Amino acid sequence: MISQLLKTLRDGDGFEAALVLAAIGYLLVFAAFPLVYNIVMSFQEVDMFSLASFDRPFRGLDNYRDLIQRPEAWEILRNTIIFVSCSVVFQLGLGFALALFFQLDFPGAGAIRGLFLAGWVMPGLVVGAIWKWIFAGDFGVLNYALHSAGLIDKNIFWLSDPAYALAAVTIANIWLGIPFNMILLSVGLAGIPEDIYEAAELDGANRWQRFMSITVPLMGSTLGAVISLGIIFTLQQFDLVAALTQGGPANASNIAQYWSWQMSFQTYEISAGSVVATLMIAVVVVVAAIYVRSVQHEHSA
Amino acid sequence: MKRSLLTGVAVVLAALYLFPVYWMFVTAMKTSGEIFQYPPAFWPASPHFQFRAVFASYNLGRYIWNSLLIATGTTAITIVLGTGAAYALAYVRGFAVNVALFAILMLQVLPPSLMVTPIFVAFNQVGLLEWPRVAVVLATAAKTLPFYIILCRATFTQVPRELRDAALVDGNSRVGAFLHIILPLARNGILITGVLVFLQSFGEYVYSRSLIADKELQTATVGLSTFLGADANDWVGLMTYSSLYVTPILLIFVVLQRRIVSGLTSGALK
Amino acid sequence: MFQIEIEHLNKSYGHARVLKDISLQVPLGAFVALVGPSGCGKSTLLRTIAGLEKITSGTLKIAGVVVNDKPPRERDVAMVFQSYALYPHMTVEDNMTYALRLRHRPKREIAERVADVAEILGLGLLLGRTPRALSGGQRQRVAMGRAIIRDPKAFLFDEPLSNLDASLRVKMRGEIRKLHQRLGATSVYVTHDQIEAMTMADMVVVLRDGAIEQVGAPLTLYQQPVNRFVAGFIGSPAMNFVPAILVDDGNSLLLGGDAACRLRLGQRRAPGRAVLAGLRPEHLTLGGVGKAQTFAARVESVEGTGSMTFIEMSIAHGATAGAGDAVMLTLAQSGISTVRPGDRVTVGIDPADIYVFDPDSGLALQADPAP
Repeated sequence: MISQLLKTLRDGDGFEAALVLAAIGYLLVFAAFPLVYNIVMSFQEVDMFSLASFDRPFRGLDNYRDLIQRPEAWEILRNTIIFVSCSVVFQLGLGFALALFFQLDFPGAGAIRGLFLAGWVMPGLVVGAIWKWIFAGDFGVLNYALHSAGLIDKNIFWLSDPAYALAAVTIANIWLGIPFNMILLSVGLAGIPEDIYEAAELDGANRWQRFMSITVPLMGSTLGAVISLGIIFTLQQFDLVAALTQGGPANASNIAQYWSWQMSFQTYEISAGSVVATLMIAVVVVVAAIYVRSVQHEHSA
Repeated sequence: MKRSLLTGVAVVLAALYLFPVYWMFVTAMKTSGEIFQYPPAFWPASPHFQFRAVFASYNLGRYIWNSLLIATGTTAITIVLGTGAAYALAYVRGFAVNVALFAILMLQVLPPSLMVTPIFVAFNQVGLLEWPRVAVVLATAAKTLPFYIILCRATFTQVPRELRDAALVDGNSRVGAFLHIILPLARNGILITGVLVFLQSFGEYVYSRSLIADKELQTATVGLSTFLGADANDWVGLMTYSSLYVTPILLIFVVLQRRIVSGLTSGALK
Repeated sequence: MFQIEIEHLNKSYGHARVLKDISLQVPLGAFVALVGPSGCGKSTLLRTIAGLEKITSGTLKIAGVVVNDKPPRERDVAMVFQSYALYPHMTVEDNMTYALRLRHRPKREIAERVADVAEILGLGLLLGRTPRALSGGQRQRVAMGRAIIRDPKAFLFDEPLSNLDASLRVKMRGEIRKLHQRLGATSVYVTHDQIEAMTMADMVVVLRDGAIEQVGAPLTLYQQPVNRFVAGFIGSPAMNFVPAILVDDGNSLLLGGDAACRLRLGQRRAPGRAVLAGLRPEHLTLGGVGKAQTFAARVESVEGTGSMTFIEMSIAHGATAGAGDAVMLTLAQSGISTVRPGDRVTVGIDPADIYVFDPDSGLALQADPAP
């Protein structure tokens, strides 16, 4: 029995199975279990006092009802939608423009394009710190630049003015997301065979027509993947909010994932934090399923 | 002529994009008086660094050490558990493998800021928060492991299956074929992905902030965030701190840039 | 004495049966070719012998020992892969000696064997190189060297020549054959190329859809195919199949059901039925000489390669042959032909060269001695 087990581990499928099960086991304990536990807690009363207890009062959907009735809930939902949609639109637009530009054949294109990823490897919190300094009201370099360009007459207090705080966080996040969008779109563009463009050119299509009739449709599944990944990464963004505004002033720049953390770790309303986390994870999982589908679609095509 | 013009445009675009990074280094080289000048100077009058002073006053050594420990632990767990799984998922086919892959992809996208609540509560209940850095390593590895498996799997799929078959026929066991033939051939991909995991966990923030209470055990990101409060005005110090923290990251990036780019793209879209 | 014995072997992936009740015995020292169209299971069969695929049921013996559940390393077989599967991170010498080193053979013995094999295959100058630095033909030789250095119980070849260009393939064909004569080792050789199978093997196994169609010496398969599939697969260009009716109490047939195309048979078949007549292009002659039976045809197209000419022809057909298109035939003759499309010609064939098949089962209809 034991020797048979050893034999399949060494020579049979048992070896591969053991390798996968080790990793899956780890993920079950440290990722899948918390995921389920999160849902459980969203139906329980969890606060400072019941934190360590295994026997907590069951509250059913009350936690969800309470959450929706909070005055800030809708503002934060609105902020999250604006944050995600603006981030994705501008990351994609600027990333696509850069990808198209670097697709042109000139010396150093690959190396210069790679430099853009420097922003991406830096810790989010450091990026947040740098942008906080750039956004600074009185001595910030952004206000200086806008002033010199004649776009503003009075300094904007990016981080403390409720009208601008969310925009500031969004701008920093767009900056972070551009390189990844650009690189993925470049890969998609490079995958379109040159001779299709040549054929279209012989057919009499001009540059714009070629872009609309060849590039855009053939990039379809890549665009799908990049947009879903953009949404996923934007919903993971936490460090920038923490560094720049902490959701303030008065929730003007607060977004769901930060709010969830605030409730769990600053006001110890852990049930409420779990409710937000559960709802947001559901959104992420749906987007991820779309992403996986579009990638598999592309793979089989 | 026209092509070198394009190179010029590209350089300008890259410079514009990387301005924040430049601004960090330039600010770090200014004096405290100089940063509050208006208009701001784009190059310091007399560049000088306060590395040593910042290192001491911000307790940076302690913070960086903690970040290094956590990044090393996370990377070790990720590579040990992830490499074999990535290989198996690349070489074995079937329904169970597809299910496992899908599950791993799904676990990869879970935002740490949302997962940290149940992890905190559960770790607290089982007493893991007694070892806060270990707790951070365990939680972070659950985030980096799926990422690593997906990218590494792409590397393994590029090693032809017939090489394993040849090794088996030549007289090796499956374990031996994996260790002697397939692993050496996937070495580069494993290395690059490992570096990416290391960089990621070296800059980790949410878990460290939430699971580590003791100031002495906190990481460089958490340190930076505590100095970043609303009344922060020592921007020279903060940018020096940031420069000291990210320069090694940027150096590693510059050295491995080409490979990082190709490694990332192969995993995300295939 | 059989070196490889396969009895009632089945192999399925889920519901898909890829090998169906395979029974085959490979004599010690034989060179056996497994041949068939792509997807017929020939590579899978080879891989089950190597132990790279598990079998679902049946028994598999190598040198008299049942190896069903043994991993490849306990089977002591060597394999040459289609892609060669040379270890890219090892030199040529390390590639070849890998198996010996795994078996902890003494260094001296390994060195001697390397010298021998390098001599046989002409690899002496390449031993220090990595596979990357080799040409396709050289890689192929190293793959061969890696196999023969071991003196295994059997050699398994998985389409080893299909990645070479045509002229090199012909050359390597001869070399592998010579190598086999010299070493005398039992070999199983998978190929989709029937010419490779016919020229190299002592024994050819024709597979289709995971089942064995026929096993035999190359010329036996050519002369006595058991069914329409084997008849069509072996021989190039492929055999012509023409709907026909047996008449004259089974002694003659009408090609295309047309009374004008009446051919006497060498041997009588059971009479009174629709059949398929099999006519090999190289057995057809223009004009017809000697004992040949003849029929009329119209030339549709002519393709000449200089050494050979292939003539595509149509023959008249009657109502029974099915409505519509004319029945087409290919004729092959050596040299250059002067016929042109549109010419009316007389085509002849020796009665002994006419094959007859059942149109439904595809089985060859044997001679029926009963009057």
